[in-house]
Amino acid sequence: MNDISTWDVVRNLLDGVLWTLGLSLTAFVLGGLTGLALLFARIASTAWLRKLAKAYIEVFQGTPLLMQLFIIFFGSSLIGLELSPWLAAALGLTLFTSAYLGEIWRGCVESVPKGQWEASASLALSHFEQMRYVILPQALKIAIAPTVGFSVQVVKGTAVTSIIGFVELTKTGSMLANATYQPFLVFGLVALGYFALCYPLSVFSRRLERSAHGTRAH
Amino acid sequence: MALVRIDGLHKHFGSNHVLKGINLKVERGEVVALIGRSGSGKSTLLRSINGLERFEDGLIEVDGERLHAGQTNLRDLRQKVGMVFQQFNLFPHLSAGQNVMLAPEVVKKLPKAECESIARAMLAKVGLAEKFDAYPDQLSGGQQQRVAIARALAMQPQVLLCDEITSALDPELVSEVLAVVKTLAAEGMTLVMVTHEMRFAREVGDTLVFMHEGRIHESGAPDTLFTRPRTPELANFIGSIH
Ligand SMILES: Nc1ncnc2c1ncn2[C@@H]1O[C@H](COP(=O)(O)OP(=O)(O)O)[C@@H](O)[C@H]1O
Ligand SMILES: [Mg+2]
Repeated sequence: MNDISTWDVVRNLLDGVLWTLGLSLTAFVLGGLTGLALLFARIASTAWLRKLAKAYIEVFQGTPLLMQLFIIFFGSSLIGLELSPWLAAALGLTLFTSAYLGEIWRGCVESVPKGQWEASASLALSHFEQMRYVILPQALKIAIAPTVGFSVQVVKGTAVTSIIGFVELTKTGSMLANATYQPFLVFGLVALGYFALCYPLSVFSRRLERSAHGTRAH
Repeated sequence: MALVRIDGLHKHFGSNHVLKGINLKVERGEVVALIGRSGSGKSTLLRSINGLERFEDGLIEVDGERLHAGQTNLRDLRQKVGMVFQQFNLFPHLSAGQNVMLAPEVVKKLPKAECESIARAMLAKVGLAEKFDAYPDQLSGGQQQRVAIARALAMQPQVLLCDEITSALDPELVSEVLAVVKTLAAEGMTLVMVTHEMRFAREVGDTLVFMHEGRIHESGAPDTLFTRPRTPELANFIGSIH
């Protein structure tokens, strides 16, 4: 099978990079929205909402992403719902991402001093208004660095979805490795692809962290 | 009728019985100074009045707004009760002016222009007209506390609660804050303040309330209490601070 040129390999891998990127973005955006809902549930005054959100987070943080994907992919077909690998992957990664982001953000909200809650409460702001105008603007500043940092985990997490047959970078790589008998070259390039996606995010996150500690911008 | 009425107030923290049946009336325009040893329940009492602490038994009424044990809807009550904290608790991401404007804008839903003019007037009242655009970390402790007072006043509360509002300040900054409180008292603002500034309590307070182990142990005119304490606990307390 030596009729596959290096250029073909690279072109196919670039395609895989795009799918990996698309899946990461989808999971990150949808997971972020769900995570925000989880955050509100996690600090709600209603006890059952708090417990529900906590249970959700513990389930998705306490089991391997691979198992979650298996259960969604095979479980859905068991109940007669044929999810495509893309849909199952997007759903699984979204749930996974939401659990982590919800928990990261809860930590940020809780690091806002209690006095901020009390002062805004004593001014008669409702819980939602306190969040909107006082707590979240302060928590956001703390949250940016760990959120960007976690996005690296999301990108790497997409590799697992190759196992349920979603053709992203890793899956493209294993198909090409089989076809070309050059696994070292192919997976080297695959790794380079992940690095190209993740390294800028890590650097960005570290820089944000430094500036969050260094300055007290308004 | 009294502006603030507290009847049979009981509060526990776990098994710690912190307020053991508090009865207190505050008339409109009255200045009440709460004194007592650390841990006697002064802050808890004050914080109960605007619902920052829940209580198990008793009733609080402020200007007709009733607060029962376990009640959760506090919006109407809190609009009538302002509070100033020991640690200022200004919102660090907002300028002084925005700190003062926030509640009138968000809670009272007043037009922005009106909120701004309220904020400017309140900052002027505490002597900080020129600090409208300054952020909290650009202000001294005394200035921050005055902004906090302006922020509370912007909601036009019926009563202002002050919990040791000069205790976190460097000594040289205490007087500028006390001067503002004194002006408010002179203008007829109803005040309930926890304070360790005994001279100030005596000078500005209409009523002195001495708390001891979760009860109001003694209360009355400041001069009388200071010169002729009826109980050994108050005598002791006064002795310990002179
Ligand atoms: N959030 C809390 N949780 C548990 N115990 C508390 C809390 N706040 C106050 N207490 C206890 O309640 C008692 C009264 O405290 P506080 O009202 O702050 O007294 P003061 O303001 O007179 O110093 C103290 O024994 C204190 O330890
Ligand atoms: Mg106290």
